[in-house]
Amino acid sequence: MAYLEVENATKVYGGAARALDGVSLSVGRDEFFTLLGPSGCGKTTLLRSIAGFIELSDGNIKLDGRRLDTVPAHKRDIGMVFQDYAVFPHLTVSENVAFGLKARKVPAADIQRRVAEALATARLTDFRDRLPAAMSGGQQQRIGLARAMVIRPKLLLMDEPLSNLDAKLRVDLRDEIRDIQKKIGIAAIYVTHDQEEALAISDRICVMSTGRIQQIGTPQDIYSSPQTLFAASFVGTMNVLQRGTDPALEASILQDAPASLSQWAIRPEHIRLGEGDLPADTIRVPGTVEKYTYLGREAHIAAKTSVGKLVVQVADPEPSLTMEQGHPVTLAFRRGHVMGFDQQGARVSLGAR
Amino acid sequence: MRLNFWTVVSILAWLILIVLLVIPLGSVLLSSMQDAAGNFSLANYERFFTTPRFRTAFVNTLIVGFGGLVGSLVLGSIMAFCMARLEIKGGRFVSLLAILALVSPPFIGAYSWIVLFGSNGLVRQTLMSWGFFMPPIFGMWGVLIVFSFKFYPYVYLLASGALGNINRSLEEAAESLGMTPFKRVMKISFPLVLPALSAGGLLALIHSIADFGTPRLIGRGFSVLATEAYTLYSAEIGSNLGMATTISIMLILLSMLFVFGQRYMSRKNVYHGNLINKPVKKKLTGVWNVVAHVAVYFIALAGAMPAIIAAIYSIRRTNGPVFQPGLGLDSYRRILYNLADVVQNSLVFSAATVFLTVTIGTIIGCLVARRTNVNTSSLDATLMVPYVMPGIVVGIAFVAAFNSPPFAITGTALIIILSIFIRRLPYSVRSSASALRQVSPSMEEAAISLGYSPLQAFMKVTVPLIVPGIIAGGMLSFVTAINELSSSLVLYVGSTATMPVRIYIAINDGDYGTAAALSTVLLLISGAAIYCAFRLMGRDERALL
Ligand SMILES: Nc1ncnc2c1ncn2[C@@H]1O[C@H](COP(=O)(O)OP(=O)(O)OP(=O)(O)O)[C@@H](O)[C@H]1O
Ligand SMILES: [Mg+2]
Repeated sequence: MAYLEVENATKVYGGAARALDGVSLSVGRDEFFTLLGPSGCGKTTLLRSIAGFIELSDGNIKLDGRRLDTVPAHKRDIGMVFQDYAVFPHLTVSENVAFGLKARKVPAADIQRRVAEALATARLTDFRDRLPAAMSGGQQQRIGLARAMVIRPKLLLMDEPLSNLDAKLRVDLRDEIRDIQKKIGIAAIYVTHDQEEALAISDRICVMSTGRIQQIGTPQDIYSSPQTLFAASFVGTMNVLQRGTDPALEASILQDAPASLSQWAIRPEHIRLGEGDLPADTIRVPGTVEKYTYLGREAHIAAKTSVGKLVVQVADPEPSLTMEQGHPVTLAFRRGHVMGFDQQGARVSLGAR
Repeated sequence: MRLNFWTVVSILAWLILIVLLVIPLGSVLLSSMQDAAGNFSLANYERFFTTPRFRTAFVNTLIVGFGGLVGSLVLGSIMAFCMARLEIKGGRFVSLLAILALVSPPFIGAYSWIVLFGSNGLVRQTLMSWGFFMPPIFGMWGVLIVFSFKFYPYVYLLASGALGNINRSLEEAAESLGMTPFKRVMKISFPLVLPALSAGGLLALIHSIADFGTPRLIGRGFSVLATEAYTLYSAEIGSNLGMATTISIMLILLSMLFVFGQRYMSRKNVYHGNLINKPVKKKLTGVWNVVAHVAVYFIALAGAMPAIIAAIYSIRRTNGPVFQPGLGLDSYRRILYNLADVVQNSLVFSAATVFLTVTIGTIIGCLVARRTNVNTSSLDATLMVPYVMPGIVVGIAFVAAFNSPPFAITGTALIIILSIFIRRLPYSVRSSASALRQVSPSMEEAAISLGYSPLQAFMKVTVPLIVPGIIAGGMLSFVTAINELSSSLVLYVGSTATMPVRIYIAINDGDYGTAAALSTVLLLISGAAIYCAFRLMGRDERALL
């Protein structure tokens, strides 16, 4: 199953800080694998060491069972889409896309056909004879994408390929990328710091922070059972509360949780305003409204309670609904939705439910 | 150690620097510290500091250096401010005049000033006949005036670039914070252009110290270190190499001192312009508009005046060295019949120099830009030395180093070519290194990830991107090489005379027609080279500095 294997990858740049700190992961033969993490967490560094542009300080990388450290970058057959586009400014759009095919000595007729195909996919057909200088950032990014995909590499690395596109084109193209990847069946590693994008297209997601892996899992795993507080709050939104502000109420929420549990968390969409029939394990918390934010499709109510501040997400709010500051509310959520974390941010089981 | 390409390049680079820089400088130093019998002695230095003649020259050098600096700063800042921030009619023409001032052949400048303002100068005589007394331009003040109008383009070109790149939001922010216009200029704009001003001022200073044509022709008894060094070296009887080399060392020390001083001053001041909100040019009206235009055109025309005078005088009729009324091409005819070999020398030497600087400079530039380590940074730093060496000093140093085996090449064309090569090498290295730094390394990586080997990636991606810049840089090197006078003057023999050398000789012989015609030819060649360069890389006057 494992096609690409990264073992204990560590990278120390000149100074003391570790850009990568013991990263191990494996990617399947036709898997769409996403690296998700905040700026500076080492995503680009990991991609570049897989592509062969930087040497790891420690650890090794295998592709299809073969160790890569002895293979020079240009023989690895790994396509890469660069964060800063790296489009060749002296070549036209179609020459850019054909560039890699020429290195592979593909016959001219095939080059033409494949380039035309790739340009159509990247919606660049109309620009084929233009020079990149006369094109927008988003268009240049798509050149980079077409150029890397057209060579059908063994592995496709994409470093935030959609970061400069508008929201609509972004959604269209990310689906397109995923469809093409599945169609030609290559392994892809995709870097983003947009959590929604990661959830939408990945087979599996790797959440990173400060050079370390926080969690690897399917989008569902990552979202519904985050293993660290970092993963929990980076993907989606999360109410994080300190234990010990209202021991009596917390006792009913956390019950027989271990003493190591120091913080607990619940997603805003799992809290509702507590009226009507509710399941048996529901907990009610009284509070007062601090702020009401109307967002169209949903509304957020920030409420002050004895356990701390809680944000409630209300789906499809009535336009007429408003809430004054200080208005009393009752918040309700199920015990099963509460997550516990220890001092270091690792997940702690809440015990029997 | 594995001998890869870059190791070989760095060894060769050091070899070049050792042969063409360290050995000549070492010889100069050695020669300055020997007495007539060849024993170690500091007598020359003692003499330097005790002889009134040398002390005066030293003080005078400082005077022309700082005088040229102040004059260039004043003229250059006025020009820069008006051109960058005000609407001036015919702006392109004005910057053309600035280029003309920059490349007008050495010596002819001084001569043209004499033609107008000398004892029998045209302008002076006219004014005198109207009853205004005007002293002739000779002496210290004359030198300072000529330097100011000759070197102001350094300040102007650098400062106008910086002024045009200040983000307007910064000034607007200051305005909205309630700063008065004067405070705004002093607190915001001035600090932002300070690095450019000090860099331009440094160039003016260094060139003022190194120039020896102007003090020689206009100084009339006002001598500076450069003229003293040349006089001592070239004296028919009792040529005193030991003293000439001592003065050379003092000149180098002075220049280095100023370079490091400027670097120290502007060590923290690196601002990166941002082109989103460029300043707009303001349109003045009324009196101030007239004042601005008069100031700009006065400075620009005065700076370009020598070149214009030379062009006019070159088509005056002559009989032998004497001008006759009316126009004619006698001077050009004389060049064609008698001086064709001089023109040919100039073209061949300059072409050879440019070929050497461009090829070698580009390769070293790649080394410096792509392999940053202790070795390459010290290479880069060492290259600063030929950058600040006055031409006279390079000439004397080459004579001191290369007139005995194993490198006995004095009197050959090679020594002239090498002397210009080593002075021009730093520019070439710098410009190719900075061209390379503009090419993002991920560009080559992209090519590598697409299956090209690193060498192929370099050839297919990087080279096409930097070649126009390199050719343009070569063209500009050609301009400097063909106008180079001071080192050639020390190194030439009859058969290797170049155009600038011939101009110097012609002016000394009173053959002004020939001098003017040769200068015009030089100017036309330089103009053609600059035109090609600008066509290749876009118009950018600052590349000329
Ligand atoms: N050449 C380098 N020298 C020293 N430190 C570096 C270098 N390149 C990256 N770093 C550091 O390594 C860390 C990881 O950088 P990396 O570029 O991998 O981040 P990233 O996750 O791609 O961030 P972003 O989302 O902003 O692109 C950062 O702290 C960065 O400052
Ligand atoms: Mg990155």
